[in-house]
Amino acid sequence: MIDIKKEIQKDRRAFIKNVLSGTIAGSLLMVIPAGAALDERLPEQLPGMRGDDSPFTEKKFAFVVDVTACIGCGSCCVADKNEYNVPDGNYRTWVERYVIDDHDEVFVDSPNGGLDGYTEPRKDIPYPVRDTFFVPKLCNMCEKPSCVQVCPVGATYKTEDGFILIDKDRCVGCGYCIQACPYSVRFLNPVSRTAEKCTWCYSRVRQGLLPACVNVCPVHARKFGDLNDKTSEVYKILREPHVISVLKPGMGNQPALHYLGLRREVV
Amino acid sequence: MEKKYKSSDYAHVLRLAVIIVVAGVLAVFARGMFLPDTMGQYGHYRGSDLVDQRNVEIRSHTNESCYECHRPIRLIHKAGVHKTVSCEFCHGPYADHITDGKYVAKMPVKRDMEIKTLCLRCHNKIIRARPEESIKVVAMPQHLEEKKVNIAHNCNQCHMVHDPLLWVKAAYDMMGLEMKGEKK
Repeated sequence: MIDIKKEIQKDRRAFIKNVLSGTIAGSLLMVIPAGAALDERLPEQLPGMRGDDSPFTEKKFAFVVDVTACIGCGSCCVADKNEYNVPDGNYRTWVERYVIDDHDEVFVDSPNGGLDGYTEPRKDIPYPVRDTFFVPKLCNMCEKPSCVQVCPVGATYKTEDGFILIDKDRCVGCGYCIQACPYSVRFLNPVSRTAEKCTWCYSRVRQGLLPACVNVCPVHARKFGDLNDKTSEVYKILREPHVISVLKPGMGNQPALHYLGLRREVV
Repeated sequence: MEKKYKSSDYAHVLRLAVIIVVAGVLAVFARGMFLPDTMGQYGHYRGSDLVDQRNVEIRSHTNESCYECHRPIRLIHKAGVHKTVSCEFCHGPYADHITDGKYVAKMPVKRDMEIKTLCLRCHNKIIRARPEESIKVVAMPQHLEEKKVNIAHNCNQCHMVHDPLLWVKAAYDMMGLEMKGEKK
């Protein structure tokens, strides 16, 4: 303390200058975003994304999940947990197992969100099984998101290129959005006490990489791409004759997540 | 006689007006102080959050990142039927191994019965929801009986985990036999 006082008394003007410049430089360092530590040698999986620094891209992204291909291995869930250190018991993406017996009764389970895979068959099905399949779930990135509407502090928002994101600095953890989401994709992070959900890996996509779950899917059941690009796989799937549906179409949210070969029993 | 109003008779109204104006100014000032600068830049949200979201750390890479260093495995893994299986699914995320281009920790390698658990996670026939077009499923231990091997055998004793048919194909070739239903 004495040293500082001496310093001030020696040259007040110089001291103030030093303090001010230090403060400004420090705050500037905090404002300027740290350069992304992404290896430039990584192949660009989504062309034209790198070097695009505009706040919104000109693209219209869509996600397609092929229910007829999914094997329920849970690679996607593992990748998701690794990528975001999702707290135990919460899931940004999960895989549900549907079993329908020949009396048309539907049984759904998802032990630990499919994170440990499916090792045991269901034993509580009273009648012979008519149909069984896996349904991966994630954020639907609705055209008309209910979660954005209810947020009282403007913490959750829709970007112009269609991503619904959560500003964890603004979120107060009131939980309105968690109740408003018809697809139950949101949860309250027990550590930060803010709402969290799948972002379709916004940071990866903006850096030209596929979402983590799409990247690891061994059977290519998850597909991601740009609908404005007429050569992309998702464009072809959604424009050509296929059995395509969205979850809960009656809710009117108009999801950008589409399912290929979905059965009508799925909710 | 008409009553003359003095200016002091309006004092309460004036007081109220002053309070409202002061409160308004304070409110505007407080709003400016508490709202982030970029709030409302693009809509009712903090515009700079877009930058924050773009800088979220990428922890999982692609198989190509692993192949950069692990050359021998690349040749085997890329050629086999497991080429679509992610390295990180079995070995953990890239960021736990390499951070800022520097080696930080060893990746876990599955051993013994962990391997069997991992194989059956995808290939177990007992889970009927798996579409046949997507994956070759096997029933255990019927598969071992059918192939006439010891029931205690582990998967990786016949199947090389990075290319499950590598040794099997080699064995068939050595015997001069054709493999049934071989998938390309």
